[in-house]
Amino acid sequence: MAIAEDRRRLATRLTWLRVAVMVVFGLLAGGFWFFQVVQHTKFQEMAENNHQRTLSLRAPRGVIYDRTGQVLVENRSAFNISIVREHTKDLDRTITLLAEVTGVEEARVRDVVDRHRREPAYRPIVVVQDATLAQVAAVTARRLDFELPDVVVQEVPTREYPGRDLAAHLIGYVGEASDQQLSDDSLATGAIVGQSGLERVYNRMLMGADGARRVVVNSVGREIRTIEELPPVEGRRVQLSLNHAMQRAAEDAFRAYGYWGAAVVLDPRTGDVLTLTSLPSYDPNAFATGIDRAAWAALNTDELRPLQNRAIQGRYSPGSTFKIAVAAAALEEGLVTPDHQIYCPGGATFYGRFFKCHLARGHGYVDMRHALEKSCNVYFYTLGNMLGVDRLHEYAERLGLAGKSGIDLPNEVESIVPSTEWKRRRTGEKWYAGETISVAIGQGQLSVTPMSMAVMMATVANGGTRVVPRLVTAIDEGKGEGWQPMPPPASPFPPMLMKPTTVSALHDGLWMAVNEAGTAGRARIAGRDVAGKTGTAQVISNQGKARAGASSRDLRDHGWFVFFAPKDNPEVAGVVFAEHSEHGYLAAPIAKHVMETYFAQRDGLPLPELKVPAPAGAAPVPAPAAAPVRVAANTAAFER
Amino acid sequence: MFERRLYYHIDWLLIGAVLALCALGLAMIYSATGGPTNVYWTQTYAIGLGLIAMLACLSVDYRSLGDKSHLIYLAMILALVGVLFFGAVRGGSRRWIDLGPFNLQPSEFAKATVALVLAKMLGDSRRRGLTNNDLLFAGVLTAVPLLLIARQPDLGTAVTLLPILLGITFAAGLPVRYLGILAMVAVLAAPVAYQFGLQDYQRERIATFLDPEQDPRGAGYQQIQARITVGSGGVWGKGFMEGTQGQLRFLPVAHNDFIFSVLAEEQGFAGVIVALGLYLFVILRSIEAARLAKDRLGAYLVLGVLASFTFQVVYNITMSAGLVPVKGLTLPLMSYGGSSMIATLAGFGLILNVRMRRFTN
Repeated sequence: MAIAEDRRRLATRLTWLRVAVMVVFGLLAGGFWFFQVVQHTKFQEMAENNHQRTLSLRAPRGVIYDRTGQVLVENRSAFNISIVREHTKDLDRTITLLAEVTGVEEARVRDVVDRHRREPAYRPIVVVQDATLAQVAAVTARRLDFELPDVVVQEVPTREYPGRDLAAHLIGYVGEASDQQLSDDSLATGAIVGQSGLERVYNRMLMGADGARRVVVNSVGREIRTIEELPPVEGRRVQLSLNHAMQRAAEDAFRAYGYWGAAVVLDPRTGDVLTLTSLPSYDPNAFATGIDRAAWAALNTDELRPLQNRAIQGRYSPGSTFKIAVAAAALEEGLVTPDHQIYCPGGATFYGRFFKCHLARGHGYVDMRHALEKSCNVYFYTLGNMLGVDRLHEYAERLGLAGKSGIDLPNEVESIVPSTEWKRRRTGEKWYAGETISVAIGQGQLSVTPMSMAVMMATVANGGTRVVPRLVTAIDEGKGEGWQPMPPPASPFPPMLMKPTTVSALHDGLWMAVNEAGTAGRARIAGRDVAGKTGTAQVISNQGKARAGASSRDLRDHGWFVFFAPKDNPEVAGVVFAEHSEHGYLAAPIAKHVMETYFAQRDGLPLPELKVPAPAGAAPVPAPAAAPVRVAANTAAFER
Repeated sequence: MFERRLYYHIDWLLIGAVLALCALGLAMIYSATGGPTNVYWTQTYAIGLGLIAMLACLSVDYRSLGDKSHLIYLAMILALVGVLFFGAVRGGSRRWIDLGPFNLQPSEFAKATVALVLAKMLGDSRRRGLTNNDLLFAGVLTAVPLLLIARQPDLGTAVTLLPILLGITFAAGLPVRYLGILAMVAVLAAPVAYQFGLQDYQRERIATFLDPEQDPRGAGYQQIQARITVGSGGVWGKGFMEGTQGQLRFLPVAHNDFIFSVLAEEQGFAGVIVALGLYLFVILRSIEAARLAKDRLGAYLVLGVLASFTFQVVYNITMSAGLVPVKGLTLPLMSYGGSSMIATLAGFGLILNVRMRRFTN
């Protein structure tokens, strides 16, 4: 009885248990159904985020060559050390440890990380760009020990400028894209883009397309395998019109003679820029791996303004070189013939004021050729007076001296040759005829860039066609078609085609200035028929000079030398502008060295060596060529 | 001793289901550890040894085992005391007895022993129903090994002794109101126990369970990863050895505590249903063995063994989906663990033992 009852109770309770177990298993199945079926998509995505990463593969930028095939800009492999916060358990610890391992200041690492904190956690934050091998080794060792699982070392192509500061202003530099650039060009954060010079103008072409690699990583971030890889496309190769040897010759000569300044040499037939230099310069390699703030500040605040491209951004008074434009205008307008003679007694009076010639005893009777040779002020005062300022302006513009040259470089400034209209717009005052007299010899409110001066010389050399200077001559699209020549840009300027008599008079006069009794004898090259003209740009008027007195500013005049060669069928035309050289003829030897280099290379001769005569009685210049300008280097050595 | 006709009463279906689960677990261990590793072979040997233990446990009449239960119990207590003094230390706790080629975890065998001694004690009782004295004595018999195991410390295994007590006393007629009181006491005692009874790391586990996102890289990590692992499996799973979470070590101790998550990831909801079905079958079939048992001793013994098994299965599977705090409780029959495997199979030997002797005297 008791047994039976006992059994019944047990049976009932076992049924309860059975039901309870079934309910529990039902709930479990329901739970798994909810996770695995209902919420599957969400968890699937989380799992993929867990184990898949997309790594960007930076495309090497296009290599840049000079016209002779010399490499001007290339790429090298650098190592970047980055933090990927996704795997970071303790960011502070990682920063401290990484700073210690790499020997970088902890505050700097923290600063870099803070700047990128808003970005997604899977994107690497580059802490050390262009790490040394020691740093890479130290980090790799710690990674193997799982001490720094969230730090990665990536090999990235980095811009390399083998010429260091050679043609730095022209080539430009690269850097991380600014927020502005990111929104304009739809780039990925951290993209490296051209920030100045050709690197900036042709950025799209040079940049190429970054690749990507999708990889599987494990829970400590180690890559297990690659799922797919999209290789990066290298940027297009670009060939410049620049001539490396001439560029080098110009920069060497500047340093050898101890001047800062600018030089531009064009091929007057095409507008190809053979040389474009501005000194002092900087080393763009410093930018390629992320310039540090101190170096950047030093470059920016340097009184010598190494970042300014003087060739297209510096404006100076043209001085006597402007007389070429005055002569061309007078001849083309038919006001005088080349043989027209004017008597120079050492000065002349216009509008009740006496204007001096630089030669107090006067040049006597001079015609156009001799006026150019001797740079007679009285002759050009007279022509200027006959022409009036507006015709001077018009011809200056046709020759390429006014306005912008249109070269394919950013931030070119306008050259100014005044006109009545210009003065009215600028000051609201009317033009006085007396002002024209000063303008006729390049004084007054003229303000021109070395580039515009070079364009004028090209126009004079080729007989009247104003060329548009250009730097890129060919592009290799990388499709196996090799170099595709870039057509020269269509000139927006109407051709002027000067009268043959004008051309021969100008060419003769300028040839005489170099080869006979003129001021530019120092540019003479036997058998090359160099034609040229010197000029002096006043930094400050004579009265001002007296007033400024003992100011620390360098107030010495600048020297110009403009040239082309050979006289007949010129192949090169250009300008050398030497800051504070006081006399134009001191700029001439620099041009001579560049031209000698050109001719030697053209004829397959050994390139000329630079011979600097030691200045008599003065201490020799402390071997400037041996000390190329470095970023933030002490530049005082070149102050004379 | 082993009569020939007993052979015909062996529950081959139950053995089949148990072996199917072992095979499933072995396959998952193979996958989670990336091939035929030491872990895989150890588990294979453990299954072999477990089958021998099972055979041993079903060949001796459970009634004679019940007669010697006090001796077995004493031996178990000695082993537990011994392990506290001479045991091998791993991961901060002293759980193992070093036997040369392998280590033995006496606490795993405590479950079947407690089931046996409680079944004997309550099954032999001449009185109807359950007296308070019975209950108290049963409580003490459970508490002694429980406290010894908790001292190792191995709270997870210690706690699995409680379902044995509960299961057997419930079958023996524990008044339902006692269950109510027990539930109330548990609710009221929980905060006190949380404050005073737990170690810091245990408190942390519970805190992060309630809000895993507060520390997704630290203590909440396993739970979040477990959920991702299970959820990303979908209906049909990612395929054998194709699970990313387990294979790439996002899921810790995948071959051990989280073996069911690996199954869910690689075999999907379909695999989960198959495994759940097998476990459910094993449990219901064992309850059936209890119902068929010839005497109370047999029924209670089955339920005692089954109670700790069921508790562990349910807890581990719930944990593998990230639904309960992470606790070092393995999934019987599937998780890696030699002692656990041998003890579990031995336990099933007892269940089979009871069932096949339902007609003997």
